[in-house]
Amino acid sequence: MAELAAEAVRVPAGVRRTSLQKFMRRRSTIAFAMTLPLIVLIAALVIYPAFYSMYLATLNKSMQRFVGLGNFEFLFRRATFWMVVKQSCIFAISAVFFKALIGFFVAHFVHTTPTKGQRKWRGMLMVPWVIPTAISTIGWFWLFDPSYSAFNWLLGKVGVDPVPWLGHPLWARFSVILVNVWYGAPFFMIMYLAALKSVPEQLYEAAAIDGANWFQRLWYITLPMMRNIIAITVLFSLIVTFANFDIVRILTAGGPVDQTHVFATWAFLLGIQGNDIPLGAAVSLFMLPILGVSAIFILRGVRRRAIEA
Amino acid sequence: MAQSRLSRRKLLRTTALGAAAVVAAPYVRGAHAAGRLSIGFWDHWVPGANDTLTKLCQEWAEKEKVDLQIDYITSQGNKILITIAAEHQARSGHDIMQMPTWEPLDKADALESVDDIMQKIIAENGAASEATQYLGKDNGKWVAVPATNGSQVKPPVARISLFKQHVGWDPTAAYPAGGTNEELAEKWDWNMFLAAAEKCHKAGFPFGVGLGQTTDSVDWVGAVFASFGAQLVNEKGDITVKSDETRQVLDWFKKLVPFLPSDVFAYDDASNNKWLVAGKGALIMNPPSAWSVAKRDNPEVAKDCWHFATPRGPKGRYSPGLPYYWTIWGFSPNKSAAKSLLLHLSKLSSIEKMVAASNGYDIPAYEKALDFATWREVEPPKGTVYHYPPRGKQIVSLAAAPAPPKIAAQIYTQATMTKMVAKCTQGGQSIDEAIAWAADELEGFMRT
Amino acid sequence: MTAVTAGDLGRLKPARRGSIQKSRRQALFWSYVFLVIFAIFFLTPPIYMLVTSLKSSGEISAVTNPWWVYEPTLENYVELLTQNQFLVFFRNSVVVSVTVVIITMLISVPAAFALSRMKFWGSATLATGVFLTYLIPETLLFIPLFKIFAFLRDVTGIEFINNWWILIILYPTLSVPFCTWIMIGYFASIPKELDEAALIDGAGYIQMLTKIFIPVALPGIIAATIFAFTVSWANFLYPLAFTTSADQLVLPVGIVTTLIKGDVYNWGQIMAGSLICAAPPLIVYAFLMDYYIAGLTAGATKG
Repeated sequence: MAELAAEAVRVPAGVRRTSLQKFMRRRSTIAFAMTLPLIVLIAALVIYPAFYSMYLATLNKSMQRFVGLGNFEFLFRRATFWMVVKQSCIFAISAVFFKALIGFFVAHFVHTTPTKGQRKWRGMLMVPWVIPTAISTIGWFWLFDPSYSAFNWLLGKVGVDPVPWLGHPLWARFSVILVNVWYGAPFFMIMYLAALKSVPEQLYEAAAIDGANWFQRLWYITLPMMRNIIAITVLFSLIVTFANFDIVRILTAGGPVDQTHVFATWAFLLGIQGNDIPLGAAVSLFMLPILGVSAIFILRGVRRRAIEA
Repeated sequence: MAQSRLSRRKLLRTTALGAAAVVAAPYVRGAHAAGRLSIGFWDHWVPGANDTLTKLCQEWAEKEKVDLQIDYITSQGNKILITIAAEHQARSGHDIMQMPTWEPLDKADALESVDDIMQKIIAENGAASEATQYLGKDNGKWVAVPATNGSQVKPPVARISLFKQHVGWDPTAAYPAGGTNEELAEKWDWNMFLAAAEKCHKAGFPFGVGLGQTTDSVDWVGAVFASFGAQLVNEKGDITVKSDETRQVLDWFKKLVPFLPSDVFAYDDASNNKWLVAGKGALIMNPPSAWSVAKRDNPEVAKDCWHFATPRGPKGRYSPGLPYYWTIWGFSPNKSAAKSLLLHLSKLSSIEKMVAASNGYDIPAYEKALDFATWREVEPPKGTVYHYPPRGKQIVSLAAAPAPPKIAAQIYTQATMTKMVAKCTQGGQSIDEAIAWAADELEGFMRT
Repeated sequence: MTAVTAGDLGRLKPARRGSIQKSRRQALFWSYVFLVIFAIFFLTPPIYMLVTSLKSSGEISAVTNPWWVYEPTLENYVELLTQNQFLVFFRNSVVVSVTVVIITMLISVPAAFALSRMKFWGSATLATGVFLTYLIPETLLFIPLFKIFAFLRDVTGIEFINNWWILIILYPTLSVPFCTWIMIGYFASIPKELDEAALIDGAGYIQMLTKIFIPVALPGIIAATIFAFTVSWANFLYPLAFTTSADQLVLPVGIVTTLIKGDVYNWGQIMAGSLICAAPPLIVYAFLMDYYIAGLTAGATKG
């Protein structure tokens, strides 16, 4: 299972071509046919709507007139829009940073414990990721409730004033990031744990003999060996976090005063609740450039690994 | 070859599942003679109130032989607003849809005119209140039927003992059940409210009045704005937010906020209820739902609650109102059945049943329906909701009035007024900056 | 953690071993300390949800110790499970998730096989392209999809919106790319000798797939199935946007939007419902944890 992750042997294309021409042609058709449902699904429900949303973003509110870039101009003039941009970026970057950091350290700790006990720890620590996000966010919402917060009750016991977890803009932003980190760190942990296991033990022993301390071993051996996996997971998580909807929607619905809105929730508010579909589409489209840039980096990373493998 | 085998398998599976689903789906009954009717009602928080409404509908359905499907949709999380918006966009959904405040006028061109049945209803029930007429008529013709369930006002509900002890003013003396003590009531204006808020804050029982983005917050803030005469947009559609009245009212809020709990800016519709029921606050602005929950969960607090009139402002005594309407979508295939049902639900006897089932929470729109026994009887304490329906010189206020409906709907759902308050208090901006921001927002609402 | 310096190493062997042992023991001690702290952090919300779900609403309002149940009661669970609405949510979730898993596997496995084994024109681009579609988030697509389905309704007369089976059409877009990606990785690691042996024996491609690849790559298939199930079970945005009537909702949306009534919450019931919703993925995870984790890691570390 995890061992399978180790090698991916690539067969040079020439081996197959020695077969009959007819056979190859048949294979092509069959192969294409087998991928057809996949292609149809993606084309119809992902690619086409993505382009359609670009078209929608060029219409007026009642969707009867073509206004070109009018919606975008309108958005650029609104202070709230720039606030949402800023918030989405801060949210994504800080959440991913902490997730990666915590995931890395926890993976390290689990790796240090004897192998027999690791399964138990892995099991416990993965729980946040397994529970549906919407559900665990409701749990956090209850923990942060202004009147009944269990955290504030504990703080009260040690004489600290109740914290407006969702009421004050700074605390609200903190809470949203906290829940996202809570939810996503296990994913990083499990990835890094697998990668840690694939670092050969001899390297560490050799370093120890050469007199390397803990930090040096981390910096010169562990991190470089894990560079690829770190890059992939960080990029992947950036994309997913950037497009996050559930947590913000349930925890704060974008408040207070729009200060925790991210693109997805604001698009929902404007597009579906505000009955202005073109504007909602326009807002969502702003995610594309960021996603595009990340995609390019991921592609490069993937190609690089494929060549190295 | 592989592909066709695969897709046939998939097709069979999907069809089989689809067929199974149709058979297994609830609410599918045998065909009835006069067709089907699907209804989206507001989900009443009072346990049992939904059942009374369902029974009323079913007794009609049995007589008319119509197949009914009723959905109760909550207003929490704006679910009902989202549903309305989705059905409006998709041009399909329920036949009858319940809508709050500005929605009927905002969606007026997609609604079926109900002027014909309204004439009959008014003939029997008496005139509808001004506020209800304002929001239900498009160009003089009714496009929506005032709903009983859910129509509410949000007056103050206070803890009698705390007010007596810390404020030195007894709401039960000023607003006893059965009448009003004019002398004591005159004193109750927004300045006294401010002073009372300060005293209760010092005593450790602050007012839990919300400044968030849901209807509880928007409605009461809208009433304060109205009572100061501050209009965001006038009837003609001009932006009039930059006015002295607006500065006055924001100034008042700036004085109030320090006496409120710090998370009022994130309050949703349930937060002020929880504040009262947990015994933490001396006053909230809410319909009797909070008191009803206290009856169940914290009877000591419930016995101590009194609902009374909203404070007076420079331009009058405005009570925050939230009327609901029953509307018929233009795309409904069964409009005649829908109209017949709404006539049945608007009979005085039906209205009385709904008011009783809601413990007096529902406020009917018609003259002849405002004196039911429920408001006098419900307890403890007896008479606590007598002053809940707006009486005397109180005007029912609609947040964002008198702006044109499409703009008002946005001011309402985007909570522009409470956001203005938040910006010049918690947000640290000056009053003029908050007003400038609002003007910018309002310009955005003018989009077509 | 003590630094092992060159000085230490110059001494006799037993001393060096002792130093390493001590530093290892210290590292282990600190690891356990931090692991416990993080375990508390990760497990607090679910445990708190459990505690709340065992309280009556009176006890919740009374603001006694929120972390402990003084009078545990199962009334929240009983009320939920005897109430038709919640069972409808559960049923919808089960039907949707199971169907989507089946459809996903039917699409992913053949596609992965074709892309990993049978080189045809564009297969390499398609393989990376598949993964890239994962980068177009649902939060971008739900608005245009909404209009598309409304338009389709006008054209075909079939009501798409506000029906739970629309989710069966939509969810595969979320699960298929990643599952295909996982399967490609697994298939790619199956030795080519098996292929050639089968070909020599006269097997067609379909037989190769069913008789060799699927059995050998079964762990990968299980991992992909688990992933598809979890994603379908937990999805929130699509059902929120596309289903509104109570009998069409799936569990996550049902709990969040319907168990919360008017301006009064019943937290005990909400938490009980939430735990019931969290249970299936947790149970699947508990029994198939190794496959689950292997699937995740394999999908990412494979080329």
